[in-house]
Amino acid sequence: MSAAFEFTPENQQRFEEILSRYPRKRAAMLPTLHLAQQQQGLITGEVELFVARILEVPVVDVREILTFYTLFFRRPMGRHHIRLCMSISCWIRGANQIKDYMTRHMGVESGETMKDGSFSWEAVPDCLGACEMAPMIQLDKDFHGSLTPDKIRHILAEASKHSPGSKDDETKKHRNAKTN
Amino acid sequence: MPIITIDQQEVQVEAGSTVIQAAEKVGAYVPRYCYHPGLSIAGSCRMCLVEIENMPKLAIACHTQVQEGMQVLTQSDQVTHARRAMLEFLLVDHPLDCPVCDQAGECDLQNFYMEIGQYDSRFLEDKNKAKKATVIGPHVILDQERCILCTRCTRFCEEVSQTDELGVFNRGNRSAIDLYPGRTLDNPYSGNVIDICPVGALTEREFRFQCRVWYLRQQNSICTGCSRGCNVSIHYNDSRPYKAGGKRVQRLKPRFNPEVNSWWICDEGRFGYEFIDQNRIEVPYRRVGGKLEAAAWSDVVEEVSTALKTALEKFGPQGIGIIASPQLSNEELHLIHKLFGELMGIEGIGYHNPWEPEGLHDDFLMRADKNPNRRGAEEMGFTKDSLSLLEKAASGEIKVLYIFQHNFQEEAKKLLTQVEYVIFQGSNWTDTADCCDIVIPSTTHAEEEGTFTNFEGRIQHFDQVFLPLSESKNGIEIMTLLAEHMNYEWPYFGPDDAFLEWQGKSYQELNDFGDLI
Amino acid sequence: MPIEKLVSEHFSNPEARKLAWYRSHGGYEGAGKALDEMTPQEVTDEVLHSNLRGLGGAGFPTGRKWAFVPRDTGKPIYLAVNADESEPGTFKDRYILEWDPHRLLEGIIICAYAVGIHTAYIYVRGEYVRPAEILQAAIDEAYREGVLGKRVLGQDFSLDVYLHRGAGAYICGEETGLLESLEGKKGWPRLKPPFPAVVGLFESPTVINNVETLAHLPKIMVNGSQWFAEIGCERNGGTRLFALSGSVKKPGVYELPLGSSLHELIYQHGGGILDDKALKAVIPGGASAAVLTQQETEIQLDFDSCIKAKSMLGSGAVIVMNEDVCMVKAAHNIMRFFAHESCGQCTPCREGTAWVYRILTRILEGNATPADIHYLLEIADNMSGTSICALSDGAAMSFRSYVKKFTSEFEYHIRHGKCDVNERL
Repeated sequence: MSAAFEFTPENQQRFEEILSRYPRKRAAMLPTLHLAQQQQGLITGEVELFVARILEVPVVDVREILTFYTLFFRRPMGRHHIRLCMSISCWIRGANQIKDYMTRHMGVESGETMKDGSFSWEAVPDCLGACEMAPMIQLDKDFHGSLTPDKIRHILAEASKHSPGSKDDETKKHRNAKTN
Repeated sequence: MPIITIDQQEVQVEAGSTVIQAAEKVGAYVPRYCYHPGLSIAGSCRMCLVEIENMPKLAIACHTQVQEGMQVLTQSDQVTHARRAMLEFLLVDHPLDCPVCDQAGECDLQNFYMEIGQYDSRFLEDKNKAKKATVIGPHVILDQERCILCTRCTRFCEEVSQTDELGVFNRGNRSAIDLYPGRTLDNPYSGNVIDICPVGALTEREFRFQCRVWYLRQQNSICTGCSRGCNVSIHYNDSRPYKAGGKRVQRLKPRFNPEVNSWWICDEGRFGYEFIDQNRIEVPYRRVGGKLEAAAWSDVVEEVSTALKTALEKFGPQGIGIIASPQLSNEELHLIHKLFGELMGIEGIGYHNPWEPEGLHDDFLMRADKNPNRRGAEEMGFTKDSLSLLEKAASGEIKVLYIFQHNFQEEAKKLLTQVEYVIFQGSNWTDTADCCDIVIPSTTHAEEEGTFTNFEGRIQHFDQVFLPLSESKNGIEIMTLLAEHMNYEWPYFGPDDAFLEWQGKSYQELNDFGDLI
Repeated sequence: MPIEKLVSEHFSNPEARKLAWYRSHGGYEGAGKALDEMTPQEVTDEVLHSNLRGLGGAGFPTGRKWAFVPRDTGKPIYLAVNADESEPGTFKDRYILEWDPHRLLEGIIICAYAVGIHTAYIYVRGEYVRPAEILQAAIDEAYREGVLGKRVLGQDFSLDVYLHRGAGAYICGEETGLLESLEGKKGWPRLKPPFPAVVGLFESPTVINNVETLAHLPKIMVNGSQWFAEIGCERNGGTRLFALSGSVKKPGVYELPLGSSLHELIYQHGGGILDDKALKAVIPGGASAAVLTQQETEIQLDFDSCIKAKSMLGSGAVIVMNEDVCMVKAAHNIMRFFAHESCGQCTPCREGTAWVYRILTRILEGNATPADIHYLLEIADNMSGTSICALSDGAAMSFRSYVKKFTSEFEYHIRHGKCDVNERL
């Protein structure tokens, strides 16, 4: 049983600011969950209880939200997470072949994490909104398109090089861009 | 009040009512799952689609408000086709569980389907699997595969019990209703989700596999669990005694009463019917040589009436004490007052158990007073001070004590052992019964017709559900035997006679939802 | 004829993200003019006469939508900007967020002024992380420079604009699904009536407008409604962004006047078909739109023409398919999407989308019979007009069009258990 979750002092401040945007606490649900995931890497049961408490909603509602949307992680992901778009335009431009290649190259199936914890990936049916560069992936925050096996190898190698130690490094990198 | 037309019938309805409510007024039942008058409108099952003139699409009756001159068709071809379509969709992943599902016989999926379904399935895929037969609370079992996601149960937990145990997780056809992990469906009203679930997704643990519902009969009654007097229906099985261990009462269901309990009942009341069939006093008993021995009715009636007559002659009315009970019906209480109070002149008639602990009380249905008819006893003019009666009996001032139904605690038992002659009349064994000289078996409320008066003074009628168990007799019959044996004029043949004398009207004149005194 | 670049004039120029640069190139002129010289009613009238129609998918006349909002309820009026852009094939709003965020903010100011709105939320889909960062930077800059806040552009008008990131759900692009999500709940669309204009966010009147729709407002203010209306065609004013993708040589965002020909978009701007293969089919407006066969592609790209062709202009996502694309697999891919995105609230959509996907899977696996084609069409009918929101209708329109217009390909799969178009894809 892990310890209860609390925001860091900086995140607590960010949370207060988030709350001020809405006339009702509950409306801060998604930004708060994004912030918690940024801090923790995933949403655990403790995070659920914490969010339920600070937003004054029943905890079952938080879990409903968590399971309804697709961007919240409920189990640990790799240091980098990849989404491969399998929607219609990417499919027309060969997403299936890219998927096969990635399965071979990463050594794990879609939905899984590599054993060294470096990458997790999933082939998703939702269009990621970058069809002009089909086929494409979202690697962490960025889109990479016009994929070929070579390009994928290159992208993954680059990402491994700049692998940050923790998710908080990312936050520091984009200090001025409050994405919550 | 707008006038609308439903299936060519004109009807005047309240402004602001919905088409589904208006349809009920003309007897047109619109099939529905997610709609329930006691819950918010979800509009998600799409089963109540109806045709409304000048509307391009079918509209859901549960959400569409009536407008003056609206023309509604609930049986047109388009409507019938849509209902079939919705049923077909709901059956896509629904398991073929009918042979093992308790809901069979009262299942709205079965009922609507048999009425209108297309009967030949065109579904050729493998059905999705989910959690089956999962205990989620002390009284409720969940079967996710059977769930049609009407969300009545989640709305109940949010709006009525306000305990938020259940939620709808995931989305699309992976949507699943479940408990929040680690929680249990243990709120005091958990049983109500069983009633409102239209299918066998939420079923009653106590009732599981006990009896097929088509073997059950039902009668109206009143819950005796507390002084609210929620209206119930007693469902019983008297045709197949080899089922369910011979229990007659199989379950209770709440009955709608907008003044008392609306559609709901608490778990304590819903599951508090075991006393009707279990731990009953089945025959009369006499204490012989320190031990209680079964006796014949004639002997016991003889002995009791003689004891009462003798005491009355030798010591006067002060020599007899009566402790009636707030669990007795108004009719029994009235006749106790008649026989003991009026005819025999006894003043010491009590009803209260001073050691009875107060039960759970909340701001919804549950009341601390766990007796159904305290108000009735109070209105009869009986004294609340049973303790003095007990003390007088213990000191010898009262020679004969007649106790009804009570379960006195330790202190009282000490007093009772000092009383010269104690008569106990009741339906179930209690500690008190164990230390009396005579034990007279009476019936429970389920075996006699009568009324209770709830805490706010509402007189509510209950039916006789079945015949007395074994040799027990209803209280009125017992008093008749005693009265006749003591040669009193006694023109009461049943509870309706007592009620007529007490209230000056017949049962037929009682309102369906009860009458305030 | 030179193509008017109205909302896309600054695309690919990172300088445009900066307030000062934007301003020096005509930025915030339209909002300034509205606040300074026009009444809110005049602004609404201009928008109405411009024939600007909603560019997110529904194509509802924007001026008319604003007019539905009651001003006398005593409640605050809200604006929810729909940047949820999740219709497959659509990526044009992303360009506006990435390249011209200030144009969006300017459009928001104009809309807010016209309708009496002082709080706006921009709901950006969760996957658009970098675009959201760029947009937030623009918002921050706008506050610092007095373009947003208590005195917008120095006028006696206050406006707060907040970014609100989604978390991965297509249904949150549906108007009332968006509102539910913004209020912190599951994105389950609401029953209508009441409509959002009357009962929207936090039970208050709310306008919901697409990113691109708002992005057109600045130029409409500066150049006038007649100018905008004349650029387009009858009842469809101005230009719009088309997101061209699929089997074309130059997929990308192209801004064309409404009423332009589909062929012009594909061949002149899109460079023609990939590998110079034959054109087979085109989806004119996102996955929810009925597919057009090659013979049906001689159409004009405007809302009314597409409706007449029994499809829709929708989100402006034009997806091109050449002869290498198997239409059974295309339908399968699209239904996988809808089954994944169905919110699950109502029966026909929840069960219908998943059932159709399973039938199509079975057809691809070679386990189907001709009766399955018949079932698909019936299910499409049962999914249309019976649900809470239009996802079910869109999915039905979509897969029905594949089954009806390419029946022979379905029959081939059923009869032979394999594809006669392309096993590889």
